[in-house]
Amino acid sequence: MSGLDTARIATSPDERRTRRPRIGSDAWTVIGLFAVTIVMILASRLISPSFGSWDQARAILVLTSFVMVIAFGQQSVILLGGLDLSVGSMMTLGGILTFSWIGGSGSALIWGIPAVLLVTGLVGAVNGLGVTFFRVPPFIMTLAMGIIIYSVALGITGGTPSGQAVPALGWLFSHRLFGIPWVILLMALFAVLGTIFQQATPFGRRLYAIGTSPEAAAIAGMPVRRIVILTYAISGAAAGLAGILMVGYSGGATLTMGDSYLLPSIAAVVIGGTSIVGGRGLYAGAIAGAFLLTTLSTVISSIGIAQGWRTIIYGLVILVALVLLREELSLWFLRLRSRGGR
Amino acid sequence: MSATGTLPVARRPGGASTRRLLANGTFNVFVVYVLLFVILMIKQPDTLSAFGVTDLFNNALPLALAAAGGGLVVLTRGFDLSVAGVIALTNVLIATALPDGPWGAVLAVAIAGGAGLVVGAVNGYLVAYVRLQSIASTLATMIVCSGVALLVLDAPGGQVPDAVVYGFSGVLPGNVPVSAVVALVVVLLWLALRRTDWGVAIYAIGADETAAALAGIPVRRAKFFTYCLAGILYGFAGLMLSAVTATGNPNGGTTYLLLMFAAIAIGGTAFSGGRGGVIGSMIGAATLTLLQKVLFSAGVSSFYTGIFQGLVMILAVVIGAITARLAEGRAR
Repeated sequence: MSGLDTARIATSPDERRTRRPRIGSDAWTVIGLFAVTIVMILASRLISPSFGSWDQARAILVLTSFVMVIAFGQQSVILLGGLDLSVGSMMTLGGILTFSWIGGSGSALIWGIPAVLLVTGLVGAVNGLGVTFFRVPPFIMTLAMGIIIYSVALGITGGTPSGQAVPALGWLFSHRLFGIPWVILLMALFAVLGTIFQQATPFGRRLYAIGTSPEAAAIAGMPVRRIVILTYAISGAAAGLAGILMVGYSGGATLTMGDSYLLPSIAAVVIGGTSIVGGRGLYAGAIAGAFLLTTLSTVISSIGIAQGWRTIIYGLVILVALVLLREELSLWFLRLRSRGGR
Repeated sequence: MSATGTLPVARRPGGASTRRLLANGTFNVFVVYVLLFVILMIKQPDTLSAFGVTDLFNNALPLALAAAGGGLVVLTRGFDLSVAGVIALTNVLIATALPDGPWGAVLAVAIAGGAGLVVGAVNGYLVAYVRLQSIASTLATMIVCSGVALLVLDAPGGQVPDAVVYGFSGVLPGNVPVSAVVALVVVLLWLALRRTDWGVAIYAIGADETAAALAGIPVRRAKFFTYCLAGILYGFAGLMLSAVTATGNPNGGTTYLLLMFAAIAIGGTAFSGGRGGVIGSMIGAATLTLLQKVLFSAGVSSFYTGIFQGLVMILAVVIGAITARLAEGRAR
């Protein structure tokens, strides 16, 4: 994070030369991550012949969708220089509401999904209000909100959410087009739309501007507060969407269904090259990070070793990926390429 | 963060006016703590008994030590997630690997400090020299540590030697809780540290790392040692947790992760770095643990405890910010 500042100073002459490919350095991280992940899937063939198949890759892609959706909101918030620790509880909220409001009724989907997204979006907007108008640090605001949501959900459901599985959502996971589950196609669309949103819309570009310097953005006439509030709302709704998907996948909702997605959502974003202090990063990186983390846990969980060793390998691979894909290395890559081109 | 007041260490203590007190996050959180304490005393008059006080210190100290370490890192504008892993690791080591008797207690201190130092050094190396983002690299070390903890003890259990339990959660002659002495030692060490070059460097790096480097501060070395010290403090947090719970739990560290950051923020340390202090973080931790106790004694249904906890966290920060702003406004 702040180490990058000194890195920039130290390499400033080089950077001036490579100013244009700045995006290029982020893109290298993304390409590197995907490459590492694919190598990992192929290498898992060595562990067992049933690995590294199209079936396994398909299963991993399906599992990636949850982290990927949450990571979109998380990354937008981090780009702003914030952080959303309420996404776990928000995902649970989305799941519980889907479970109890929509249930087995297919026709309820039409109003149910927008309603769930609206509720989670509004709760997210409250995060944004706290951060902007009451100047609560994002860390505290969203952490407190996460605790509050969980507590409310616990109180209202009494510990066990009641409702029905949603077959219409399960359909996304069980039906395929040309051998590809619908949910993967949906996620591909989500990835494209998310990237366009961040890179090509005024709103998206303003995220980067505010993350780099909120003061400068305000002086430039940007409605900083409104954008911050909307971004937290987007993050809430994204987590809610992940909850909706999760109900489709698992057929039920529990009070802890979102908990295990909080840290991966942040990890995916940061591993994907987004700066935790904001202003810099690509959604494609977060997707690559989500893909890497999901692949890693899927492959590792199928190795027949003690849980402790699995956890250690998981952590070490993340560490190796971070070291391999750090900024200096991608800059070095770029320089190498530009030298070769001359 | 404003450019003025980037070096709080430069302000000389003493002669603290009301204005300065109000602008001080540590003072604000202390007021919140006293308020909660009064409520608890009304609800439970035996709070002030020797047992009650020891209990308060024992409950608060693991989180307070963790927050002291995490707060140091936050001052340099970093995030250290490894706390959860280090606490779990030291806890299971102390619960499985120690002989009983006084040597057990000595070894426990060595193990806690040693394991914390090793993990902290790895963090410091990765952040200061390899220049990884602190949140990402410490996430990885946290995961590795919890893996090692699972190898040491794969399910809750084990036995913490009596010498550790009574030695660290008991009372000294005169009914002075050991945990209060530990807390006092950490506070005194911090007061000494912040007057050294290293202490100044910690604030300077957090305020503006580039400027600190240009001013000739050895940024990398200062950061490295900050992570080391933080690791040692997490180790001692694990030691205190072992003494209080008397058992080992490989997953026992995870609850401390978010609570620690909450304690740091409530204690008035800014996540943008360079502002705040370790004492505030420790009082913040004590406030969070006291809050749980107050809610419990007030008979709030445990279902809804979280709502109050969340609201108090937000309110503590908002009130702190308002009083600070009022105080600054009056000063101008």
